[in-house]
Amino acid sequence: MKQRYTILIADDSEMNRAILADMLGDEYIIIEAENGKEALEQIRTLGTRLSLVLLDIVMPELDGFGVLAEMNKEGWIEDIPVVMISTERGVEQVERAYSLGVTDFIGRPFDALTVHKRVVNTILLYAKQKQLVAMVAQQMYEKEQQNNMMIEILSHIVEFRNGESGLHVRHVHVFTEMILNHLNQKAGGARFTPAEVSTISTASALHDIGKISIPESILNKPGKLTPEEFDRMKEHTVIGAQMLEDLPIYRDVPLVRTAYEICRWHHERYDGRGYPDGLKGDDIPISAQVVALADVYDALTSPRVYKAAFSHDESIRMILAGECGAFNPLLLECLSELSGDICDAFRQTDPFQSDRQSLHNVAEALSREKDLPVSKRTIQLLEDERTRHDFFAALSNEIQFEFTVSPPVIHFTPFSAQKLGFPEEIPRPTRDPHLLALMPSKLLYHFADLLRGTSPGHPLVELDCRLNINGEKRWHRLLARATWSNDEPPRFLGGIGKAVDIHESRTQLDKLTLIASTDALTGLFNHASAREKITNRLRERPDGHFALVIFDLDYFKSANDNRGHMFGDKLLNHLAQRLRHVVRSGDIVARVGGDEFLIFLEYKNDLEAAIKRIFNALIGEYEGFSISLSMGVAQTATVGYDYDALFQAADNALYAVKRGGRGQYLFYDESMHDTLSSISPIVQAPRQTSQEEADLT
Amino acid sequence: MTLQECYAALGGDCAEVLSRLRSEALVQKFLLKFPADPSYDLLETSLAAENWEEAFRGAHTIKGVCQNLSLTALYRSSSALCDALRGGQPLADPALAQQVRADYETTVSAIRAFQSQLPQ
Repeated sequence: MKQRYTILIADDSEMNRAILADMLGDEYIIIEAENGKEALEQIRTLGTRLSLVLLDIVMPELDGFGVLAEMNKEGWIEDIPVVMISTERGVEQVERAYSLGVTDFIGRPFDALTVHKRVVNTILLYAKQKQLVAMVAQQMYEKEQQNNMMIEILSHIVEFRNGESGLHVRHVHVFTEMILNHLNQKAGGARFTPAEVSTISTASALHDIGKISIPESILNKPGKLTPEEFDRMKEHTVIGAQMLEDLPIYRDVPLVRTAYEICRWHHERYDGRGYPDGLKGDDIPISAQVVALADVYDALTSPRVYKAAFSHDESIRMILAGECGAFNPLLLECLSELSGDICDAFRQTDPFQSDRQSLHNVAEALSREKDLPVSKRTIQLLEDERTRHDFFAALSNEIQFEFTVSPPVIHFTPFSAQKLGFPEEIPRPTRDPHLLALMPSKLLYHFADLLRGTSPGHPLVELDCRLNINGEKRWHRLLARATWSNDEPPRFLGGIGKAVDIHESRTQLDKLTLIASTDALTGLFNHASAREKITNRLRERPDGHFALVIFDLDYFKSANDNRGHMFGDKLLNHLAQRLRHVVRSGDIVARVGGDEFLIFLEYKNDLEAAIKRIFNALIGEYEGFSISLSMGVAQTATVGYDYDALFQAADNALYAVKRGGRGQYLFYDESMHDTLSSISPIVQAPRQTSQEEADLT
Repeated sequence: MTLQECYAALGGDCAEVLSRLRSEALVQKFLLKFPADPSYDLLETSLAAENWEEAFRGAHTIKGVCQNLSLTALYRSSSALCDALRGGQPLADPALAQQVRADYETTVSAIRAFQSQLPQ
C-alpha cells in the first residue's frame, strides 16, 4: 500500500494547473488554488498533510511572494516545502524566493520529466531531513552519555578512596552548572556559551583526581591532620594538575585545560590566602572559583569521617558569613539567590535527570532553532482544541470516545470517563472488563463489525442498544464515524463516536406502543393489534392449520343490569385471566368488544378437542354468576388465509350459536355464509384503508 | 491537418512541445483548450479600461501558457507586451498590443481549423 502524497498547485491559469496536474499523474492527490488567498486557506486547512506546494509568482488577490511571506510568518515554511513555478527568471526574483525559503524552482516552459523529478526529490528530501534530525539527536545523546559515563567512573574511583558519598561529584557538577547559568542570566546571557558551561561542569568532576596519590591514612583520618599531613594533603591540587598536563595527548583540548585550572586552583581563596599558589581575586580562573564554592557547599552538607552534615540553610549561612573560605562576592550573590533551587536540585533522586534534560534541549535546538516555536505553537493549538473539545463534551452530557485499531485503544473524554467510572484510556477494549460490563461482547463485536463495514464515503454508523452504566441498564444510541486512511485501498484506522442516552424517549415509546395495543381493562390485546399480529402469522405460515375463535358471554347484559357495572368489569377481567391460562403461549387472545373475545390458535389434528377443552375451561361459576358462552370457530382449512374472511366466518358461526339458543360452540360452514353478524359495527375489525375507516365513524 | 501542420500554421514549435510534454494526446488536449482560456479576454478588457496591472497579468498568463505549449509567435509578442506593462506602466506603444492581437487571431484560427477536421 503506497501512500499518496498531496500536492497543492497554486497558479492563476487553469491551463497551467491542468498541465502540471497531468504531468504529475495519478500518483499524487492534486489540490488546486487559483490565487494566493485560496492557496493560504488550503495550507491553513491541510497543514503538514500537504507534502508540497507548487507556487506561481504572478497571481491575483495575493501573489506568490505574499504567500511565502505569510508561510514564513506562520512558520509553515519550515514544514511544507515550496517549489516556485514561474516564467520570471530574473536573478533578483530567484534570490528573493530562495531567501523566503523556497526549496526549488521550476521555470516555464514545463518539462514533464523535470517537473516530475523535482517534485519527487523535494518530497523525499523533506522526509529524509526529518529522519536525519531525529537520528543525529539520538546519536548526540548516546555519545554524550558515554563521555559522561567515563568521567563519572573515573571520579567515582577517586571518591571511593576518599570515603565520600557517591554523590559528591554529581553534586559539584549540578551546583557548578547552576551557578554558571545564573551568572549568565545576571550578565544577560553573554558570559558563557552553552559549550563553556558544559565543559566547566563536566571538568568539575575531575577536581580531586590528585587525591589518588595521597595515602589513605591521611585521606580518611578521623581526627585533625598534623601540619605535615595537611601539607601532604594540599599536594593533591598540584598533583592532579600535573597528571592532566602529563597526558600524552588531549592536553590542549578545552575540557582538559579547564580540568587543569580546576584541579590546581580549587583551593585558592578570593582573599589570596589559599593554596597552592596563593592567587587572589579574579586571578583565580572562574572555573576554579565556582568549583571551589561547590566543593565547600557539598562538603558542609555531607557527613565526613571528621564531622556530621550541616543543614542546607546552616551551610549557606556559614559560607555567606565567610566562615568557610573566602569567595568572589558575585558568586556569593549567586549562591544566596539560588539557595532554594540548590536545595531542591540536591534532593533529586535520579542524578542523571538534569543531564538528560539538557541533552534533550541540545537535540531540540539542533533540529533547527526555528522549529521550536513552530512545534510549540502546534502543540498549543492542539491543546486549545482539546480543551475546547472537553468543555463541549462535558456540556453535552454525552459519552464521547475516540478509538484506534492499531494500537487497539479507546479514549474517553474526561467527562465520559468520570461518568462511566472508567479510566480515560482503555487498551484492547474487546477484552476489557469495564467495557464488557458496559455492553455484552456480542454487541461490542457487532458494533465493531458495523464500523469496519463502512467506507470512506459512508463512514457513519448508528446503533440503539442498552448500556449498563453503574448498574443501571439504559437505552443509548451509539453514533460513530469511522476514519479511513488515504491509502489505496483505504485502511480502517479507527473513529470517533458518542453514546446518547435515549432511555426516556425509548421507554416512553415502548409504553405508548403497549398502551395502544392493549385493552385497558383486561390487559389483553385490543382488536387492532390482534388483527395485525394474526395477519402477520398467516403471512409467515401460509401452510399452517389455524383457527379463529370468537366468543361472547351469554346474559352479560343482565349481569351488568342486576349486579352493576363494577361486577361486569370484574367478570370480564376474570374471564380474561382464565382465557390467558387456558391457551398456549403461541396463541393470540384479544378482547375485541364489550364482552366479546377472540382466540387465534394453531392446531395439528383434533381441533374439536382443543376447542372443547378451552370452552369447558372458561365456563363455570364466578361469584354466583353462571358463565355461559357462545362461541364461533372458523378454520383456515375451510375459509382460507384472509383475516377478514376468517373473522367474518367466525362471526357468522357465533351468530348461528346465538340463534340456536346460546351456551355452545359451532364451526363455521357454508350454510352460515349469509347469516348476520352478531358483532356490533363499532367493534368490527379495522378495515384496510382509512377511507373505509372514515366511513364507519 | 496534422498537429505538426497546425503548429506550422500558428508559428509554433511542435517538436519542442512534444519533447517536453512527451505525448501527442496531451499536447492536443491542451492546445484545443487554448481558445477557451480567459486570459486573452482579461487582457483586452483591461487594456480597454486602462487597468494596466490586470493587463499585465493577462499578458503574463498568455505568455506562460504559450511558453508551455510552445506557441512561439504569440509567446514572443505577449512577452514583449508583458515587459512593456510590467510594474503597472501604462502602455506607451499600442503596436505591441496590436501584434498580440494579430498573433492571437492566427493562433486561434489555426487551432480551430485543426479542430474542425478532427473526428468527433
